Amino acid sequence: MENKVTYKRLLLYLMIIGILFLYLFPLLWQLSTSLKESDEVFSGYNLIPKKVTWSNYKIAWSQFNVKKYLVNTIFVSGLIMVGTIICCSMAGYAFGQLKFPGRDFLFFLYLGTMMVPGAVTLIPSYYIILRLNMANSFAGLVLPFFFGSAFGTFLLRQFYMTLPKDLYEAATIDGAGSFQIWLKVMFPLSKPAVATLGVMTLVQHWNSLLWPLVITQSPSLKVLAVGLSDFRLFRNIQWNSLMAAVMIAILPMLIILFFAQKFFVKGIQFSGVNR
Amino acid sequence: MEKTIVPMASTYKPKSSPKKRRQWLTGYLMILPNFLGFFIFMLAPIIATVGLGFTEWDLVNNPQWIGLANYKNLFGDRIFWLSFRKTIWFTLLNVPIQSFLALLIAVLLNRKLKALNLFRTLFIIPWICMSVAVGLTWTWLFNTQFGYINHVLTSLGMERIGWLTSDKLALYAVIFVNVWQYLGWHIILLLAGLQIVPQELYEAATVDGANNWMKFWKITIPMISPIFFYDLVVNMIMTLQIFDLPFAMTNGGPGNATRVFNLYLYQKGFSFLQMGEACSMGVILFGLIMVATFFVFKFLGSRVNYEM
Repeated sequence: MENKVTYKRLLLYLMIIGILFLYLFPLLWQLSTSLKESDEVFSGYNLIPKKVTWSNYKIAWSQFNVKKYLVNTIFVSGLIMVGTIICCSMAGYAFGQLKFPGRDFLFFLYLGTMMVPGAVTLIPSYYIILRLNMANSFAGLVLPFFFGSAFGTFLLRQFYMTLPKDLYEAATIDGAGSFQIWLKVMFPLSKPAVATLGVMTLVQHWNSLLWPLVITQSPSLKVLAVGLSDFRLFRNIQWNSLMAAVMIAILPMLIILFFAQKFFVKGIQFSGVNR
Repeated sequence: MEKTIVPMASTYKPKSSPKKRRQWLTGYLMILPNFLGFFIFMLAPIIATVGLGFTEWDLVNNPQWIGLANYKNLFGDRIFWLSFRKTIWFTLLNVPIQSFLALLIAVLLNRKLKALNLFRTLFIIPWICMSVAVGLTWTWLFNTQFGYINHVLTSLGMERIGWLTSDKLALYAVIFVNVWQYLGWHIILLLAGLQIVPQELYEAATVDGANNWMKFWKITIPMISPIFFYDLVVNMIMTLQIFDLPFAMTNGGPGNATRVFNLYLYQKGFSFLQMGEACSMGVILFGLIMVATFFVFKFLGSRVNYEM
């Protein structure tokens, strides 16, 4: 009996590992190509390179301009993340803990727009940025998202609603105003929810393509998604250097995933379980 | 989405005192930055798009009111219908395949596994990668001459296939990559649904002599039907808006083989500067999403088991 159970377990593990290997093979192949020398790229199909070279990364870093794209992406997505955390935390707290006329109406307005496709807001938003003289600038990349999203406010509101009412009452007796209570008591308590929103926002804007594509023309302003998409129509691509560029583009998010996987899982589950 | 119940904070009772008033003011001030962004870049653009859909506008001159002419033009436009059909076809293939595959793997993972966290992390890796990046990686794998996939085919004695250069296959290749990229996201969501199914139900069924297959159909499926249904709806809404992958892998080509709705909208607006028509396409896409969601709720929603 005991043996049969461990045997089944082993089989299960082997099956999952097999599926995972197949599932992640494209990324392993990408890594492998990025480490190969040019003649091996077009001749061998071995996953482990015969001779490992880092020169593709050097080419991607300087010749392909990935260094500039990376810095821009860090700057833009980082700013958006900070803005979103601050604005959504405040709004989520107000919606979840405070009382004011029109609160529920405004909140339903937020929820109502969550199904609206991005294509609907694209052109007027572009026009607004154009009129603000922010087309082709970092400000134009950041501004529309800096004040947070309906999703973020929703997520934080659900968190603040789970905090016990007594907490607010107790802080009021101590003479603190509503804003002070948020700043000193509630915001520090919201770290897990903030981390979830933070990583979800960061990934979304790190990977975002359409808005940066529309807003930026100058090579010096391009983010990774736009800069890399330029390669799609090239003839005679240096695949090993391009795969190195792709590795650089996804590596920061991979590192964050491994350190903060808990928050990503929470972020994905939030929408589903919160019904 | 009438089934989505959002727990509301206790309803506001009108009674004003200086203390209450101060709370009102703080409330308004604290939502102000968020609401400003929401108003300027969400609410106002939604309304503006509907209006601009009735105009001819090249971004330089003032919009000219032309009534329904944009819609008439689009409905007579061969490529509009082509992109419409491609998008529907993309969604019809992607959503069921992706969600069912995700369910199968989620069921496989739904056990007490020591390495579950690691497995979950590994499964969401493709989701976390930017579509442009994995699009390029798959372009390399699909490469006709040197790609790994054709290498496997030739070593099995088959012919090379021009996956992304054939107008018959390109769309399916992009759909395949899309299924691959977001599979992990759906696995995590469905796994969360499976983990809240009470274990006692399975134990009771085991006592009654049910086998695994019966347990799957009689317990697992009904118990996770609400979350599975939700997953299908979200998946559908997201897939109808597909843009990044076809843009990165084929840019709509070869010919118009992968020109999905949003690609054509982008082209209308930012290559041809026909902003009015692009706005009416946005309205049509929103309408399509609403109609599709309505039908899914009507035909599938009634089969969902909401009793726990």
